[in-house]
Amino acid sequence: MKECLRRHRDLVQSLAVLGLIFSLAAVCSPRDWRTGGPLFLQADNLTNLLRVTTPVAVVALGMTLVILTGGIDLSVGSTLGLAAVVAALALAKWHWGGAAAIATAITVGGLVGLLNGALVALLRVPPFIITLASMIGIRGLARSWCNNENIGLRTAGDAAVRFVDTWSQKPFMIGLFAGLALLVAALLRGTVFGRYVRALGDNPTAAVYAGLPIKRVQLAVYGLTGLLAGLAGVLTAARTNTGNPNDGIAAELDVIAVVVMGGTALTGGRGGIAGTVIGALIVGILANILGLRNVDANSQLMLKAGIIVLAVVLQQRRAAR
Amino acid sequence: MKTAMPRSLFLLVAVCLLAVLTGCDKPAATAAHQRLVIFSQCNNAEPYRAAQNQRFGELFGRHPELKFVIYDGQADAAKQISQIENAILQKPDLLIVAPFERNALSDVMGRAMAAGIPTICLERDIVQPNFTTFISSDNVAIGRLAGQFMVDLLTKKNGEARGNLVEITGMSGVQGAADRHRGAFEVLAKYPGIKVVHQATANWMQAEAMPRMEEALAANPRIDLVYAHNDPMAYGAYLVAKEKGRAKDIAFIGVDGLANEGAKYVAEGILAATFEYPLCVDKAVEIGIKLLEDKTFKPQPQYLLESRAITHP
Repeated sequence: MKECLRRHRDLVQSLAVLGLIFSLAAVCSPRDWRTGGPLFLQADNLTNLLRVTTPVAVVALGMTLVILTGGIDLSVGSTLGLAAVVAALALAKWHWGGAAAIATAITVGGLVGLLNGALVALLRVPPFIITLASMIGIRGLARSWCNNENIGLRTAGDAAVRFVDTWSQKPFMIGLFAGLALLVAALLRGTVFGRYVRALGDNPTAAVYAGLPIKRVQLAVYGLTGLLAGLAGVLTAARTNTGNPNDGIAAELDVIAVVVMGGTALTGGRGGIAGTVIGALIVGILANILGLRNVDANSQLMLKAGIIVLAVVLQQRRAAR
Repeated sequence: MKTAMPRSLFLLVAVCLLAVLTGCDKPAATAAHQRLVIFSQCNNAEPYRAAQNQRFGELFGRHPELKFVIYDGQADAAKQISQIENAILQKPDLLIVAPFERNALSDVMGRAMAAGIPTICLERDIVQPNFTTFISSDNVAIGRLAGQFMVDLLTKKNGEARGNLVEITGMSGVQGAADRHRGAFEVLAKYPGIKVVHQATANWMQAEAMPRMEEALAANPRIDLVYAHNDPMAYGAYLVAKEKGRAKDIAFIGVDGLANEGAKYVAEGILAATFEYPLCVDKAVEIGIKLLEDKTFKPQPQYLLESRAITHP
């Protein structure tokens, strides 16, 4: 009960920050020189913003579960790149149909995740190390599979063009994220598995003594994150019309930033999907308004750093209560 | 106390944001008489591109009737796409794009064209002709120039076209690197006496070229030539060879030939040659101004600018 109340209060606070940043963005937005209205609030801009944020936000859903168990997955950026390459190879070089290419790319992502999960569960090496290693190795694999080349999809035949045109559409990408967010939230809140995830991060020792299926839970959360990273790779390939082995470099950091901004504690046990969705929106709005105002890229990085630190400080205050 | 703390932190976030949003940038509003020119640069953080930005600023600066804005794509195709989406919202009178990737930017440039914005594509082609005009130089031709220079140099040094070559390549998967390689090896392949003893990528970065060159030196007692796909990498290779006392035996060749970089290295005798990759900026401004001033002006679909060798006198 107490836990439930606290979660609600956290969420209300996150929503307040979101509202604040949204209003600030609207106020600070450059104006349309014809109509005088803020560019930020134009429907086209808001949907642009949501679509841009989608790949990172999708991966953040899985990362939330991993972090809830007290783990971390640094390999998601590389997995994203690998999946983008696999989807593009299948469509452009092997001339597969869209469905088969997409399914294969996502599955490859899932296999990377399962491998991470298996190594974490069986070797009992910290997930930071395991996934750091796979971040490095999977990037190499992605580059070697496509022979260091970008694979273009716009001129690679009907199936490829149909794929990029469908999967890069705003309603599709945004709808997909919304659907997945609901699904993962339900998984976390409404199932035994979800309770195990929290329990594992909340108190690992207790989880051992309570006889929780720890290894299976780890396998599942890393596997799911791999699948979602694979999906994000497919989305990126569609959006950029390209399978680029360098896609998603440093994306793991953006993903972790979104999860942390959403109030999920890196120590595990505390946080949730609603927070992550809010975190993604905050990050998306920030990126968008800074872009609209054309703030210098280096200043953007410094600002991002400041906001991440502030978000974590906020969290610690909450945790101390 | 317990709830006051986070609230003060919210305030801090807000103040911090407000400061940055209002402080870092001049208001984006365009004066009524001004016309808006947006340049979507794929990555500000490269010397070649910094030189482009500077030249654009100089040339457009002479036109007070224009407001010139640069967007920095930060070497990320998705980011550049999103910035061009932002640009389309602002309905500029002219859009200039230096695309990060030829497949990725094609679609969104098509949307700019569809929105009626004259769009100049700069020095990297895209897969569909979604531009008003395309201004570039030819990296394969530059590679050929470099290849022939290397053949001549080896012939002079060894009496025939024979010798050991190290190639330090730009970022894999980038057309410029592939073309600079292809052009050079079209020429080099005709001479079986020229051997590539080491090939490594340094992603256009001087800092990455240095360890790659250390490895090349360790593995190869004799190196005659280093061909790097840009000047910073050639310079990095030189520094390492110099440290090991082997720079005198090796000729270093770069590409780009920026005045304050490659051209300077050649003048100082550090590089044997560099091959200028034109900034393409002067042409872009010339065509851009014509497009702005004369609605009936029809530019050529493509302008190809010549490279030239910069060698030690």
